[in-house]
Amino acid sequence: MPTPVPKVLVNEVSVTFESHRRSVLALDRISLQAHAGEFLCVVGPSGSGKSTLLRVLAGLLRQSAGEVRIEADHPGSPLTAMVFQEHALLPWRTVRDNVTFGLENRGVGRAEREARAREMLAMVGLTRFAAHYPHQLSGGMKQRVGIARALASDPEVLLMDEPLAALDAQTRTIMQEELLRIWAALGKTVVYVTHSLEEALLLGDRIVLLSARPGRVSRIYPVDLGRPRGLEVRASPAYGALLETIWARLREEVVRAMAEDRGPDPDRASA
Amino acid sequence: MRRFGRWLAEHSIAVGSPLVLLGAWEWASATGLLREAFFPRPSTIAVHLRQLGADGTLWGHLGATLVRIGWAFALAAVLGVGIGLAMGLWRGLREGLDPVFAVIYPIPSILFLPLVGFLVPPGEIAVVVTTAVTSFFLIAFTTTHGVRQIDRVVVEAATHYGARGWRLFTAVLLPGSLPSIFTGLRLGLGFALIVVVAVEIVSTSRGLGALLWLSWQILKVEDMYATFFVIALVGAVLYHGLAALQARLLPWVQDVADR
Repeated sequence: MPTPVPKVLVNEVSVTFESHRRSVLALDRISLQAHAGEFLCVVGPSGSGKSTLLRVLAGLLRQSAGEVRIEADHPGSPLTAMVFQEHALLPWRTVRDNVTFGLENRGVGRAEREARAREMLAMVGLTRFAAHYPHQLSGGMKQRVGIARALASDPEVLLMDEPLAALDAQTRTIMQEELLRIWAALGKTVVYVTHSLEEALLLGDRIVLLSARPGRVSRIYPVDLGRPRGLEVRASPAYGALLETIWARLREEVVRAMAEDRGPDPDRASA
Repeated sequence: MRRFGRWLAEHSIAVGSPLVLLGAWEWASATGLLREAFFPRPSTIAVHLRQLGADGTLWGHLGATLVRIGWAFALAAVLGVGIGLAMGLWRGLREGLDPVFAVIYPIPSILFLPLVGFLVPPGEIAVVVTTAVTSFFLIAFTTTHGVRQIDRVVVEAATHYGARGWRLFTAVLLPGSLPSIFTGLRLGLGFALIVVVAVEIVSTSRGLGALLWLSWQILKVEDMYATFFVIALVGAVLYHGLAALQARLLPWVQDVADR
């Protein structure tokens, strides 16, 4: 196995939200790394600042302290591209024009944009829907467009903020398999936030467990379940054992989070 | 023809109800249930309408009204959308203008006629400006609202994918507020018609409002009703015309009121 090359470096990052009354510490000295080509999952109880961490990585939010570094291997590519939970497509743009939006903003020429859109729409299986508007698509299809849009801008790191959370169970399962296929084909570094441990075990190379507010790195678990991985992994004893282990710890955090005050959820407050 | 047949089948109630109403009116006036001096039969009104059209009277008045609405609507739309967008984008401007608008907006537009007469030359220009006032407020309100209601997640995503400044405005904020702007334009155009007819009744000798009022004063009741009908028709055509334009220009909007 080759030595892992660090791609994302998060060093002692803290985020404090200041409202007019009080300040809330959302992230408390988070340190972690994602290696090049790694699928890193971030799991934690709600309010643990999972989304906040992703927003800091995306540059949508500035950390209050600490340092974030993303190694750029391809000059001209954006550092990150985010897949949002509520897909966040532009309703007035067709599927194709949503996919090429980032390229358009960067001044990429028309021919290249079109080629890129064709390639990415083929990748997510939406070739026939290029001229549709988002409101004509199902939830799962919209999220495929969101993924194609992120991939089209060819980022150094792909960020995904609970991208499948809003989908029904069957669609979610199919999308998980699709994600594995796409990730295997492209070899992107992915930082994937989810509240589902099962999802993290199916997708991730490692799982970062965050503690209840303020979010701290509780533990990092390697997922040694082999690759390529499919839904059948759920039947293996190793999967069950790892699920038990992490869930025991996550459960503590969830219970702690529920016992805490029911103040504003920093994940929401920042959205 | 088959398409028309299907359309008719789908809209049978919408098409049928006015016809039933007209039929009932015809019958009531013919049997004396309604006094024919005040409620002439629809068939008689139709004859008078044709005469008004044939001798050219109608076209002169209709033309005058349409020209006024055209100018007033253009004025209200340009200023309303412009100021509405600015209010939507800049909080300071919004907080400054909102209370002023809130006080002026409910004033019945016709009351602006004398006031406007002090500011601009009385006559056509005063009529046009008065007609534009309420439309302007409606369009400015809905435009401001349009900018404000854009999904913040969508704006954030657009920013994340590199849309900044002018690009953010033209590619995200403007298209995002267009559905609301169109609603304002439709309402504004409707109000322009209402106000222009009122202004024509009190201050002009040409225009559909003037024709309607004159017909009433000299008790040409059939002509009054004929004018009534034309005004209603103009309103319907303008409203649905704009709705059709919206359906064409904004294909991504799901529910256009043109149904």
